[in-house]
Amino acid sequence: MRDGSLTSKQYAELASPADLMQREWAPCRYHCPVHADVRAYIEHAAAGRFGAAIDTIRDNLPFAAICGRICHHPCEANCRREDVDSALAIREVKRFVAELQGAKGSTVRKAAKQDKAKVAIIGAGPAGMAAALDLAKLGYRPTVFEKFPFAGGIPATAIPKYRLPREVIQIDIDWICAHGVELVTGVEIGKDKSIEQLKAEGFSAVLVAAGLAKSRMLPLPGADHPLVRPVLDFLQEISLTEKSAIGQDVLVIGGGNVAVDAARSALRLGAKRVRMMCLEAEAEMPAWEWERTEAREEGIDFINRRGPVEILVKSGKITGVKARKVTRVFDENKRFNPQYDDGDVTTVECDCVVMAIGQMADLGFARGSNVKADARGRVEFSPVTFQTSDPAVFACGEIVTPPGSAVEACASGQRAVKAIDLFLSGRAIRLSDELPPFIGKIAPAVGEKVRQVPRNKVATADAAGRKSSFEPVDFNYVEAAALCEARRCMGCGGGAEVLVDKCAGCLTCLRVCPFGIPKVADVATIDSALCQACGMCAAECPNNAIVSRSKPARDLATRTAAILKDKPGQVIAYICGQHASAEKWKAITEVPEVNEVYVTSTAGISVNDMLSALVNGASSLLVIACHEGADRYPNAVGRIRARVMQAKSLIQEAGLNGERIKLFELA
Amino acid sequence: MIVAERKPLNEIVQSLAGRKRVLVLGCGGCVAVCCSGGEKQAELLGEQLKLAAQVACKAASGGEEAARGGTAAPGGKVEITVDCITRQCDREFFANMKHDLKDFDVVLSTACGVGVGYMTALYPEKVILPALNTTFYGANVAPGQWQEFCHGCGDCVLAWTGGVCPIARCSKSLINGACGGTNHGKCEVSKDMDCAWYLIYKRLKELGRLEDLRKMRPARQWSKDRGKGVRRLTHEELMQDTEVQK
Ligand SMILES: Cc1cc2nc3c(=O)[nH]c(=O)nc-3n(C[C@H](O)[C@H](O)[C@H](O)COP(=O)(O)OP(=O)(O)OC[C@H]3O[C@@H](n4cnc5c(N)ncnc54)[C@H](O)[C@@H]3O)c2cc1C
Ligand code: SF4
Ligand code: SF4
Repeated sequence: MRDGSLTSKQYAELASPADLMQREWAPCRYHCPVHADVRAYIEHAAAGRFGAAIDTIRDNLPFAAICGRICHHPCEANCRREDVDSALAIREVKRFVAELQGAKGSTVRKAAKQDKAKVAIIGAGPAGMAAALDLAKLGYRPTVFEKFPFAGGIPATAIPKYRLPREVIQIDIDWICAHGVELVTGVEIGKDKSIEQLKAEGFSAVLVAAGLAKSRMLPLPGADHPLVRPVLDFLQEISLTEKSAIGQDVLVIGGGNVAVDAARSALRLGAKRVRMMCLEAEAEMPAWEWERTEAREEGIDFINRRGPVEILVKSGKITGVKARKVTRVFDENKRFNPQYDDGDVTTVECDCVVMAIGQMADLGFARGSNVKADARGRVEFSPVTFQTSDPAVFACGEIVTPPGSAVEACASGQRAVKAIDLFLSGRAIRLSDELPPFIGKIAPAVGEKVRQVPRNKVATADAAGRKSSFEPVDFNYVEAAALCEARRCMGCGGGAEVLVDKCAGCLTCLRVCPFGIPKVADVATIDSALCQACGMCAAECPNNAIVSRSKPARDLATRTAAILKDKPGQVIAYICGQHASAEKWKAITEVPEVNEVYVTSTAGISVNDMLSALVNGASSLLVIACHEGADRYPNAVGRIRARVMQAKSLIQEAGLNGERIKLFELA
Repeated sequence: MIVAERKPLNEIVQSLAGRKRVLVLGCGGCVAVCCSGGEKQAELLGEQLKLAAQVACKAASGGEEAARGGTAAPGGKVEITVDCITRQCDREFFANMKHDLKDFDVVLSTACGVGVGYMTALYPEKVILPALNTTFYGANVAPGQWQEFCHGCGDCVLAWTGGVCPIARCSKSLINGACGGTNHGKCEVSKDMDCAWYLIYKRLKELGRLEDLRKMRPARQWSKDRGKGVRRLTHEELMQDTEVQK
């Protein structure tokens, strides 16, 4: 739990109540390389506000649609729900929202004026495009130069279409370009144009985001055979033409994700047998577990702990690979340092080899410029300032970071923009790495009380059918599944905060909390790491001493008042998030025009909220709750029943018909 | 702790007597703890008053809910403002009000009678009205339930009554044992009410202290209850040369 308490004065002085969210982050946000506000966008999605959801995603993540398909989702790996039942399928919700909304359904927030310096970006991959977007938003005029005829980088040129259809990539590219990003394709810097030329054309800074464009090869005897394919050439050719020269019996050398992509692509090109051979034992393989599972389902076998020595070629044809046993891959210091047993050499039969042992930078862009390479042949680069040996030339993305993921490349591009902005405004380049802390694991005693809801699986094509085409291997959620999945989110870190000066120590919070979170010594304390953000305590606290980190005070009343301002006399329905977009509740009310206001749970609706809806002009108020046991929070239904009863009697006392507030409990 | 409960809305509305600019002032002390007069309940009363006013307006124009309205009508348009301070029984806290009393015709206090009375003394030019009935000194015996345990008689007898107060809990505040109306442990006033003297007897018997009841005691000082008028407490060591507020 974080130190320090909150007073009502401090609360009133916050620029926005959302600043409280900066005290501690949910672990999903913390571990996301671009720190997307996962909790917030999932909450929008859970209420069916898909437009707001995609905008929140895109506030941090320009490659929303692409990452919805291919992200390695460190958010999910750190999801606190894992200790309740299983992690939230964050990526699948994002995928649903991003592809449903498309580029047109995402708000474009252009800079008011785009009149700052021109910046050239080399490479239209995740790093380059993310940087271009942020530059445009800051008012710079970015132009992205890409050697391929289309933007997208590796996702567009090498990631197989069965994992990432090209139209999905276009959603992100179109949305980014709508911000005033100029895209020039088919121009290779270093060949068609030099960095010096760019400078002469008026670009004040250049950002290199050229990625890793070459495949690493091994200098083995026989490796010069045309059917020993460098992995990127192989995948890029497939990506462009859906064809590539290949044999019947393919051996992919390498144990990472790229190797898996190559193996599964080889199957789809019609190879009879595809195997992967790597130095690592199965558990040590760098490929994600789910990638390995899907590959195995399609019939790909792994040959572990074997290192290639020679490609055997007979009368112009590859006949196999001679491979020796690996005794260890990593040394005591966990550094890559393989050792072999030369007494144990076997021949692995094959007629084609794909070399997927890593990628490296192509420094061709630097021709005719001041950008230098270091002793190991990499771009000379400062990770602190993002500058190369030429102070006006910056670098980001995989060309300068360890190989990683698309989202990490986006993050690198975004940081580079901060450096460029400082440089171009004549300030010293100093970037802060500071992040708020993240909340810890859910305590078992609390986790037990959280209602279990199984993770919604995505439908997958069956292995036998899918392995013969480049059609997608799995399918988007349907809306109901997306809503259901989003509603599994526990809203971590968005819970209650006590205004210590207002707290009377009355113990009401302690008595109503269904999770037993509040402790009251002299005043109440609520451990945000444990709080489930149900809002029951805030709805009951007699001194309004409990506020939510994730919602402004009186949020519901304010939202309702805003609706009624334009059309008084309307019916308002406070609908439990469990029923968002469900038509069924309408059938029972017979009210023609109802303004729906979604809440995460009815647990947080106070009697005051109900009365103020009527004060603000609602002709009547419907409270749509789940039936007992279906609500995400224990006893939420019991509480809302009691509150509706109180509200009815209070309005009756004021001379209104009590029937103007009605509760529906839906199965 | 002082326990109080909300007055019926009609009574409040009538006491407002058509005054238009109303400050509903909550108290964050005891009445917040018993969930009757804290900020939340002050707001709730504010909302109720606004609704009643709307009904009254409609009634005046012959609206739909006119028939129902009537009694609760505060008489046309009113301006309701809500505020709350830490305690209304300490002068300093009034400085924290977010509003200026000058702007209001009347203050409707959701404090106990102490808050209403003290505010009246502090702001003699203002009309201060009670929104609560101050009921007793009690404890929160279960969620949502409060019960009287003490009467504030000024001459505590709990030491020899086994911790059960005959002043507060005997319907007649008898001091010398049960009356003839005691009935199998219940009070003749209501079957739902325990006879305090039965409880005292039972408790002392359990403790083996029935002897205590036989002891002769000096006559009770009822003057310490209400006999000598307004009661005061003085801690000389804490006194300063400031004027005492009546
Ligand atoms: C086969 C494969 C599968 C992968 N799968 C995943 C995955 O599932 N999930 C995931 O998150 N990550 C995955 N990655 C990693 C991810 O693609 C990279 O981390 C990411 O693309 C790096 O982004 P970048 O912008 O730095 O470089 P790139 O994406 O490589 O983009 C660089 C761009 O610069 C262009 N360029 C290079 N030189 C020049 C020049 N001289 N002039 C003009 N343009 C130039 C290139 O054509 C390219 O478009 C995969 C990588 C590979 C190779
Ligand atoms: S309900 Fe409110 S006033 Fe009472 S202890 Fe909890 S926070 Fe404090
Ligand atoms: S009642 Fe709900 S919001 Fe309040 S502390 Fe408990 S879990 Fe958190």
